[in-house]
Amino acid sequence: MIQPLLSAKGVSKYFGGLRAVDGVSFEVFPGEILGILGPNGAGKTVLFNLISGIYEPTSGEIWFSGERIDGIPPHAIAKKGIGRTFQIVKPFASLTVLQNVLVARGITRYSHLTKVWGSWNSKGEIEKASEVLEKVGLSDLAERKAGLLPLGNLRRLEIARALVVGHSVLLLDESFSGLRHDEISRLEDLIRSIRKDGLTVILIEHNMRVSMGLCDRIIVLDHGQKIAEGRPTEIQQDKSVIEAYLGGKGTTHAT
Amino acid sequence: MSAYVVTIATLMVVQAIAVCGLNVIVGYAGQISLGHAAFFGIGAYSTAVLTTKLGISFWTALPLVIGISALIGLLLGLPSLRVREDFLAITTIGINFIVEAVFRYVPFFGGALGIGGIPRVMFFGVRLKGIPFFLLCLGFLVLVLLICWWLTRSWASLACYAIREEEAAASTMGISPVRFKLLAFVIGTAMAGLGGSLYAHYMQFISAGDFSFPISVGFLAMLVLGGMGTLWGPVVGTLILGILPELFRPLVDYRIFFYTLLLLLMIRFQPGGLLGENSFARKIITPLLKGLRK
Repeated sequence: MIQPLLSAKGVSKYFGGLRAVDGVSFEVFPGEILGILGPNGAGKTVLFNLISGIYEPTSGEIWFSGERIDGIPPHAIAKKGIGRTFQIVKPFASLTVLQNVLVARGITRYSHLTKVWGSWNSKGEIEKASEVLEKVGLSDLAERKAGLLPLGNLRRLEIARALVVGHSVLLLDESFSGLRHDEISRLEDLIRSIRKDGLTVILIEHNMRVSMGLCDRIIVLDHGQKIAEGRPTEIQQDKSVIEAYLGGKGTTHAT
Repeated sequence: MSAYVVTIATLMVVQAIAVCGLNVIVGYAGQISLGHAAFFGIGAYSTAVLTTKLGISFWTALPLVIGISALIGLLLGLPSLRVREDFLAITTIGINFIVEAVFRYVPFFGGALGIGGIPRVMFFGVRLKGIPFFLLCLGFLVLVLLICWWLTRSWASLACYAIREEEAAASTMGISPVRFKLLAFVIGTAMAGLGGSLYAHYMQFISAGDFSFPISVGFLAMLVLGGMGTLWGPVVGTLILGILPELFRPLVDYRIFFYTLLLLLMIRFQPGGLLGENSFARKIITPLLKGLRK
């Protein structure tokens, strides 16, 4: 039997009385693309924040390749090879696109105080960072200030940085939202090629067509709880999912 | 050069060293500090105590002074840097008041009378004062600027920039915010300590009031005016805010009014400082420099 790469066991996160994530369990296997679906406020991003260490779970456990990682700070989790993007993009605005990627490339140095004094401005480093930009199609904008880029390019920059960090798992938080049609299909191709390289991807996605086409498996959250799990075709026909998205019995004017 | 000019110039260079340190904390790492004068004072008082009470020389004391300033920076930074923005501003103001109070009320530090009789710096048997001491200070400023320039090319500063821009994103790239904020704070306070030490040996007499909160505000004003996060901003800001009060000495009653006006205008029209990106000055200077290189 294949061991799951990442697993959540009854993970909860409460903010006061609000149960943002409520007893969610799931497993992700190596090389898989797992989709997380759910209406706004279902707890998807909170779940990402729990995995990446930005929040500590109120209860439950998160395991990554045989190691418990809940409660570990974000920078230590990143070092294990879990990269993520943010739904609300967080570029290092006054740095160039290239420098944004270089920041991520420093991940092997930041925990050793002896290694942080070297120069990032070396030919080798810049070449490697440029390769990543090439992969996401941002080569032409390498010297541009990140804060000046339009949203579509910022989403790609987020993926570039996450790719450098996440040599094992990528967490993509609504990377498709706000993109044009041609950008969407390019990003789909990119994610497929990332998977071919052996990475595991977990993505939060509202766009049904995208998630149905891309994901091997999907879990659906509503009000912080997992209400469904299965292959895309199964999810499409799941009654509770349809209710969560379109409203349950007795809802009038549901279209 | 008249003695008056030398005095003003020396004090400006000494202040510029401290402002360079503040630039590492505020400009590079984006952590506001309104208590930088406290560390300037810690440098001054450590060298004063070491040289007057233990009788060791400026040069022997210097590494200790920088070490003490950095160590106290580390100890005070550890709790302070866990809070952000407005709260950090208030915490650092608190640090300034506490440190000043320690100098003022602890008899060991001379109490309200301060510490006098601080010896002049000896350099190969020569007692430095006037222009030679000014040149020594200038040498230290050049050294500090070189360190700052070298820092901007390091991974450490890249980590600091990332924290300044987006702390949450930085942390998901393996950067421990607390560690690098502390690192910047320690480097900045060490530079303040160096500046303070030179100040003490120049004035030969120091008292707690020399390191009060308004001095910190002055340091920050110099940095904001010159350009946070730039290499030359601290020097330019210190020059302007050092010379202006001398030029407007007849208007001494309105000095604070002009300072405030200047800062408000800067924030409104040149938020990046005089040497900040896209500033008027930089637009003029950059083509000139390119022309020179050709």
